[in-house]
Amino acid sequence: MFRQLRARFGGPLAAAILALLGIWLIVMVTLPQLQMIDYSLRPNLLPAQVGGPEDGWTLANYVTLFNNEIHRAIFFKTLWSSVLVTLLTLAVSYPLAYYLAKLASPRQAALCILLLIIPFWINEILRTYSWFIILAFRGPLNEVLMMLGLIDRPIRFLSGDAGVMVGMVYAYILFMVFPIYNAIESLDDNQVRAARDLGAGTLRTHRRIIIPHAKPGIATGCIMTFMLAAGSYAVPALLGSPGSRWFTQIIYNWFFEGGNWNQGAAYAFLLLVLCIGFMSLVMKLFKVGLGDIAK
Amino acid sequence: MSSQRLMGWALRGYVVVFFAYLFLPLLVMAAATFNDSRFPTVTPWDGTTLRWFGELANDRGMWQALTNSLIVAAGVLVVAVPIGIATALFLNTVSSRAKPFLYALILSPLLTPGVIIGISTLIFWRQWGVSGGIFLTVLGQATFIAAYVMLMVTARLQRFDRTMERAALDLGASQWQMFRRILLPYLKPAIYSAAVIAFLQSFENYNTTLFVVGYDTTLTVYIASKVRTGLTPAVNALGLILILVTVLLAIAYEVKRRRETRVPGV
Amino acid sequence: MDASVELDRVVMRFGDFTAIEETSLAIASGEFFSFLGPSGCGKTTLLNIVSGFLTPTAGEVRIGGESMAGVSVNRRPTAMIFQNLALFPLMTVFENIEFGLEVRGVDRRTRRATSERLLALVALEGSGPKKVTELSGGQKQRVAIARALAVEPRVLLLDEPLSALDLKLRQHMRVELKAIQRKTGITFIYITHDQGEALNMSDRVAVMSAGRLQQVADPMTLYRSPQTGFVAAFVGENNRLEAKVIDQDGERVRLDGGALGELSGRGTAPTPLANGAAATLYVRPEHLRPVAPGQGLEATIEAVHFEGAWVMLETRLAASGEKLRVQLGHELSRQHLEALQPGRHAHFGFDPEDAVVLPDDGGPALDAATGEVMEDAHV
Repeated sequence: MFRQLRARFGGPLAAAILALLGIWLIVMVTLPQLQMIDYSLRPNLLPAQVGGPEDGWTLANYVTLFNNEIHRAIFFKTLWSSVLVTLLTLAVSYPLAYYLAKLASPRQAALCILLLIIPFWINEILRTYSWFIILAFRGPLNEVLMMLGLIDRPIRFLSGDAGVMVGMVYAYILFMVFPIYNAIESLDDNQVRAARDLGAGTLRTHRRIIIPHAKPGIATGCIMTFMLAAGSYAVPALLGSPGSRWFTQIIYNWFFEGGNWNQGAAYAFLLLVLCIGFMSLVMKLFKVGLGDIAK
Repeated sequence: MSSQRLMGWALRGYVVVFFAYLFLPLLVMAAATFNDSRFPTVTPWDGTTLRWFGELANDRGMWQALTNSLIVAAGVLVVAVPIGIATALFLNTVSSRAKPFLYALILSPLLTPGVIIGISTLIFWRQWGVSGGIFLTVLGQATFIAAYVMLMVTARLQRFDRTMERAALDLGASQWQMFRRILLPYLKPAIYSAAVIAFLQSFENYNTTLFVVGYDTTLTVYIASKVRTGLTPAVNALGLILILVTVLLAIAYEVKRRRETRVPGV
Repeated sequence: MDASVELDRVVMRFGDFTAIEETSLAIASGEFFSFLGPSGCGKTTLLNIVSGFLTPTAGEVRIGGESMAGVSVNRRPTAMIFQNLALFPLMTVFENIEFGLEVRGVDRRTRRATSERLLALVALEGSGPKKVTELSGGQKQRVAIARALAVEPRVLLLDEPLSALDLKLRQHMRVELKAIQRKTGITFIYITHDQGEALNMSDRVAVMSAGRLQQVADPMTLYRSPQTGFVAAFVGENNRLEAKVIDQDGERVRLDGGALGELSGRGTAPTPLANGAAATLYVRPEHLRPVAPGQGLEATIEAVHFEGAWVMLETRLAASGEKLRVQLGHELSRQHLEALQPGRHAHFGFDPEDAVVLPDDGGPALDAATGEVMEDAHV
């Protein structure tokens, strides 16, 4: 590897490239992850006990989750809710991505993309916070619904998972729209026309031509959205209530309230495994490789 | 009207609703800034005021958090941009059997939840006696932002015609001169874009930052804590200012990008 | 200044694949030298070895008598004109031309003076401040030449530089390149698969096939006295007639053409032909002439193509069924030319001085439909 780099960039630059890459991949990416796993496999000890007889590898921190009914429930709630958020986001995003890629004129598409990017550049916290205002007990949504006579009493949107999910769909929608848009855009218009010409209806054209073509984009969008949803701390913290806690909040509590980093590391690792598992599943279902995911 | 055209119009209607969904919340938040109410809301409207801007200006915690955010973002640029460029050059140059594995490793920070990057960074540095603060926030954020920089630089690098490199060497340039005078100027637009994105990613990051920030609260963390504790429309005022700055930046960036794509790249 | 280029037993292998068989060659200082061959014949590899982009597996390159072993690309007294020109798109014309001087630390004033002089040489005065993206194809070509000349190379290497231009511009640039070469006295090494370019501009041409030099000669010799079947078939157009050697007396070879009777031509292979050996007689379409019935070769005309300056006949020999292409000019009367209609019989003869006899080496693979040399299967 160094030989190829040196042939192109000369010795000093090649060395610098490898050094930067090495520092990143080893010191910033790999070692911290390994250290986290190591932490998760050790008991939480006082500094004096470190290196003592109790300091050894154990699965105790993982057993905790298995035994703690509340944590277990929250873990699976996080899993199902994240899947649901992913599906909702996909449903909301697909028509828009299709419109941008195939129906909008180039000018319209460019404008829409700019409009899409702007909220994406705004803080996740602020985006979530705006929903906090809207969904508040005495907030505008309740007012509007009451004015329309649809409800006669304000609803507590912020006390269940619904508010969290609405906020998440809103926060991660762009991670779904853009990959799908890019994928559909690369589809030759003539293929759609040919399908129509051969008598396929709108739904069939989507099912047989467009969706298969957009598969890598859909897979990427789903993987990103699921990862962001399952790993979100901001949205459940702002829009959730104590009754609708997210797994990330449990992890946070182990670190900064329970003071048990080893336990927290084990939970964090389980979250990572969950995301990797989901990613592998999607990649298998959609038959796409890692190369398709980051283009 | 054929069913196809009906679908077309239904889709257009959907797009309008979609963008309303995208922007209404931001408008509500902006509007609440000017409501003379102790709580951030637009209902009921208690009169129009600008006093929340004044209150915000007097919030010393906010100014400190803003300073921290800017320091962190600058640090992230210094760390993540060179790493991202180096990685892109590496991937563009090297062919090896280890490459698919390395590529997976390089992408992994993008596919890892931010909280986990924060946690692993925090745990790793504890053994060296480093606890949460600006330094760890920079490292934690740079870990995944470097991957974004890599993607953006790679996209441009892939369109680079390598005969340019050969021509430069043939004309007597050293490899360093070739890099300085030919390759780097070619990559410059992508590097600038990547720097803008890296800055914004750093500035708005919450999930990773939360774990590594220690007591050096950044603006995002500050806003989040405000929302949960002493909530007043001053937060909205801050949000509104951030939105305006972001929108201006986004438009400037977009205009610049479009001007550049109009000039033939090669 | 000695700008000679010597290849001394150069070999290039990539793994198991031999791109260049052992090759030795001396190019004189100030010569316009071309490598001609189908794509994949190894000519670009050879150019990359001279420029230093590739290090030969064995042998060495000498420029001006000095060995280039261990001399990197950026230190060699060569400059290359690339097939796609490789102008730097973000730089102006001035900056492009001055790049080689800039990296050598030449001061700004001297640089500008040089680039002004070179722009005058390539007839682009006043274009210096332009972006190269604003130039036309021909102008870009000239900038590429000026940029290469700016570093005062002893040898200019040209890798099919005209292939991207349209026909008219290409022909114009041939003249200009030749003129620039005369004015500067630099050795030009030119790579092309276009024999017109090679024959038109070069002092000498090396024909290459499958990593091997087939023949190195001046264009006229190459055309009139090809030494291998490949050269005979690749350079210009040739009819091939299979025969057996009766005997060889000096250059003159007598052949037994079987049903065609006795034929004769010049033996141009380096070694004389053995009596009784299989051989091929090559005769160019423009060397065939109508002769009286009973003489020469009897053939049936199958198609007639009027090309303006000449008429091309596609015929089939009555005796052997082999194809024979005949090119007739306007020295024949109109009536005579008009009498040549498909289906008619005619007799064609040639001067043995115009025919070449070469050992039957199989020759290159020819495309059955067009009779053209196909790409070397070598790569």
